[in-house]
Amino acid sequence: MQLRLLISVISTFSLFGNEVYALWPIPRTLQTGTSFVKLSPDFGITVNVNNPPQDLLDAVSRTKAYIQTDKLQRLTVGRGANDSSAIRSAPMLAELRVSLNSGSTVRPIADESVRPLAQRVEGYSLTVPSNGSAAVLTANSTLGLFRGLTTFQQLWYDLSGVTYSYQVPVVISNDTPAFPYRGFMLDTARNFFPVDDIKRTFDAMSLVKINTFHWHIVDSHSFPLQVDQFPEVSQQGAYSSDEVYTPVDIQDIVSYAGERGIDVLVEIDTPGHTAAIASSHPEHIACNQASPWGNFANEPPAGQLRLASAATTQFIASLISSVAKTLPSTLFSTGGDEINSNCYAKDAQTQSDLSASGRTLEQALNVFTQATHKSLTDLGKSPVVWEEMVLSHNVTLPASTVVLVWISSANAASVARKGFKLVHAPSDYFYLDCGAGEWIGNTVGATSWCDPFKSWQKAYTFDPYANIPSSQRSLVLGGQQLLWTEQSSPENLDSIVWPRAATSAEVFWTGATLPDGTPRNGNTALPRLHDIRYRMVNRGIEAIALQPHWCALRPGACNS
Amino acid sequence: MLLPSTVLLSIFLAPAVNALWPLPQQLTTGSTPLRLSNGFDIKFKGINNPPQDLKDAVSRTEKFLSNDKLQALVADRGASSASQIQRAKQLTSLVLSLDSTGGHHKRAADATANTNSLGNKIKSISDEAVAPIGQRSEGYTLTIPADGSAAVLSANSTLGLFRGLTTFSQLWYDWNGNTYTLQAPINIADYPKYPYRGFMLDTARNYFPVDDIKRTLDAMSWVKINTLHWHVVDSQSFPLVIPGFESISQKGAYNSAAVYTPQNVKDIVSYAAARGIDVLPEIDTPGHTSIISKAFPQHIACPEAAPWSNYANEPPSGQLRLASPDTASFTAKLLSSAASLFPGNTFSTGGDEINQNCYADDDKTQKDLKSQGKTFEQALDTFTQTTHAALHKAGKVAVVWEEMALDHPVTLRNDTIVMVWISSENAAAVAAKGYRIVHAPSDYFYLDCGGGGWVGANTLGNSWCDPFKTWQRAYSFDPVANLTASQKDLVLGGQQLLWTEQSSPSNLDSIVWPRAAASAEVFWSGPGGDSAKALPRLHDLAYRYNQRGVRAIALQPQWCALRPGACDLTA
Repeated sequence: MQLRLLISVISTFSLFGNEVYALWPIPRTLQTGTSFVKLSPDFGITVNVNNPPQDLLDAVSRTKAYIQTDKLQRLTVGRGANDSSAIRSAPMLAELRVSLNSGSTVRPIADESVRPLAQRVEGYSLTVPSNGSAAVLTANSTLGLFRGLTTFQQLWYDLSGVTYSYQVPVVISNDTPAFPYRGFMLDTARNFFPVDDIKRTFDAMSLVKINTFHWHIVDSHSFPLQVDQFPEVSQQGAYSSDEVYTPVDIQDIVSYAGERGIDVLVEIDTPGHTAAIASSHPEHIACNQASPWGNFANEPPAGQLRLASAATTQFIASLISSVAKTLPSTLFSTGGDEINSNCYAKDAQTQSDLSASGRTLEQALNVFTQATHKSLTDLGKSPVVWEEMVLSHNVTLPASTVVLVWISSANAASVARKGFKLVHAPSDYFYLDCGAGEWIGNTVGATSWCDPFKSWQKAYTFDPYANIPSSQRSLVLGGQQLLWTEQSSPENLDSIVWPRAATSAEVFWTGATLPDGTPRNGNTALPRLHDIRYRMVNRGIEAIALQPHWCALRPGACNS
Repeated sequence: MLLPSTVLLSIFLAPAVNALWPLPQQLTTGSTPLRLSNGFDIKFKGINNPPQDLKDAVSRTEKFLSNDKLQALVADRGASSASQIQRAKQLTSLVLSLDSTGGHHKRAADATANTNSLGNKIKSISDEAVAPIGQRSEGYTLTIPADGSAAVLSANSTLGLFRGLTTFSQLWYDWNGNTYTLQAPINIADYPKYPYRGFMLDTARNYFPVDDIKRTLDAMSWVKINTLHWHVVDSQSFPLVIPGFESISQKGAYNSAAVYTPQNVKDIVSYAAARGIDVLPEIDTPGHTSIISKAFPQHIACPEAAPWSNYANEPPSGQLRLASPDTASFTAKLLSSAASLFPGNTFSTGGDEINQNCYADDDKTQKDLKSQGKTFEQALDTFTQTTHAALHKAGKVAVVWEEMALDHPVTLRNDTIVMVWISSENAAAVAAKGYRIVHAPSDYFYLDCGGGGWVGANTLGNSWCDPFKTWQRAYSFDPVANLTASQKDLVLGGQQLLWTEQSSPSNLDSIVWPRAAASAEVFWSGPGGDSAKALPRLHDLAYRYNQRGVRAIALQPQWCALRPGACDLTA
């Protein structure tokens, strides 16, 4: 009898096989069975947490709603109809029990979401039995519970109004992310994105457990950020009075993000990428809209903060401080990419400032950067910078500084060698804008600077530890895909981002291997990525098709 | 004294400021502000009982004029012109009239007929739109005086009036609720350089609901595209419900809701025709037909054979058994029935990418060939003549992909229209054979290229037709490249195309617009345009599309769109 029981356990808990739940990112531990269970009409989620925070209760409500409204049919020929009798006779699941492990502190998800990366607790355990007895979700934090609820949502399919799951029992024990930083960057300065577009993007991000919104909020083209102490900057620098993020909008966005497990990392790029500030403060900007722009900037319009000017330094430090103090995140980016030295060479005021102070441009940049970073460290924040600040300039940075590697994935090793924590944002893997042709005018036939298009397959092959010795691997915080918006706008936001940006979410949550220990690979990922794509579409996110629907229904049939 | 200054101004201002797309053949503009009066009205003059679709087009034009609310793409969006606009003369009406030649069929007038002032019978836009290519009259003249007196739009046909209304609706900007132009007087005489200006949509790789197609038809009509080439079915799915052959879509559509019923088709073709668009349906044969095997396995060779790459250019494989008389007869009847759903006089039987290995490995085909003593090519000829005879009998001109003219010794009727897709360089070879040509080259006009490989395991592959075909690339297309003077008349026009392996309703607008407007201008205005000069107008069009609910993408940062030329390479 013992033997038979053992055999039945083995057969019920088949290891990760060919057909598997379409979880994305796939949990780091996962056991699934071959049984069906359906949701009871009075299915409920019981929260056994003392004084549960409102955002946890809201997440539970959303989870219940998604399970009812997703109505995603399985991506298989027949859409699940072949299993209708199994589904009809399946046990009913009436309850998901949600609780924190003993000793856990109860905090709102939004508070957990903005804790320092090293202190963020996102792991959870989830069990869905095959006999209809209650499913159980546990974690050490409300944020972990939120991640588990997201996983739970992805277990369910629809057949003729019945919500069912087809590979129970499911056992996920302590699914914790391989990397603490899993981000997405959006540029809202080249073209403006209304608050609702950003919120919808958060919904999609949270569905794949992305935990950081890197908000490249302003740039040379426009300054949509309304700053309490400097309202004139957006008044003069936004595209229009409608195309601004007011302090109320910012708080709305930050809370919406926090409740969905997302930290908002705001970037005010300095000293380059600041021409829009000249509309209100011409005194602070060198080479504003200088022509030909190609001599003064990487893209039009030219214009950089007068980094050698004490008044400018004080202005931008106050502006950064004014913004940063309203944000709960411990991270804030001062940018630092693509500084054009010719702009300063041709700027009489900068030259006279430099000669008055007896400094070289690099020395002035160091003073400038230390001032802006002090405004952040005074607030208890860690600065985030683009890679040039470490690799191309001699700037003294706080040890807590986080470096974004963007020019090439090959540069990550150099940043690690200098001992800085880093976030992978390489153009050669993660730039979502590449491959749509050059956007600069009168360049017939030119391709984008970072051609070709970075397919999801390419992003999926990214190795976070490439060329980084094991002693430096703890410096790798994670990574993100990025949307620069020279050729994007609300019209194509969803379609250019999703489902591609889910790729890095799995790279940095799941890590290098699947739950069965084999390496992640594109072929087994594709059916799951189709699934998350169709689920997104059902939730109103316009993720694109990766293949003909015929292929999506037949995993592997359209492989080469 | 007025005349020279107007002329000078128009030369100086017209290219930079007017946001017309496609650019009219003749255009002069002035520098006088003019705004629409509150009671602005579009009237008919000498047109008794105008056809309903013309009246509807007028209503839509009036709606666009009040709802577009597009601000001028200048840095201050028009603020510095506010006082000029406020003081501007007001235009109270646009008067539509048909020229004396209007109406192709003279008949005795009666009290109820739609007639022009000379008593000629007036054809509706819809009737004009589906007339044979070469017999459509799309030209018009439009005059908008600067003094507030009535604007006049005249044409030889209701279709021409419709084109003129489209132009009229692109002339106006909004500032504080005023609908204005700063460029009166405006004089336009316009007509298309090429009679075929199309857009192709594949609704088989992924399905597109009727509303997506209608929105696309609207967008097409705004740039005077006059043909929807509807690649309605393919190996992956068969969404077209064909009377007498319902089982094909019952078993071959993605699901019972992902179909186009005869009622849907009727809805689509009338929506299209009322907007000056002919629908050219394609039922691709003998290849690209795998899905028919679900209902008629006896007619399909190598259905879903593995490895697919031995049997087709993409999965799933499956081709009509072209050597089987039963299959040829089946296909001919299928085409006849399908053709009856469409009012246009062209119909495509496809003919691309025929895989011979599929037939070589198909016992039935080999047996059929042997029993008839035919080679594969001879059987293809018989098959094609059978299907084309059925179309001819139904009053349709056959359209085929280039392989049918270049790769196979198939007998085609002289009036067959050939679509060049593999390479723009192949147009000359088609012309050398004397066939009429529609340009649809992958190296200029394929909208799907550049999105990465989509075949599953091809994890690091790029698309087969990389790179992405930018609007600038499409705009640089020369329709008569390498053609002799005598062959140039064979060029009917061209089209951009969306194959939908990686597209769906989610990205339909964003992958098509404003790019597909590029060929619309090449084939309406004529080739040779300077894309640097075109860019501000294309921005304008894209922003207007957004105002009308078509999600055209941004071509540049808005900063650049508001400053023509400032983001040019050398600015």
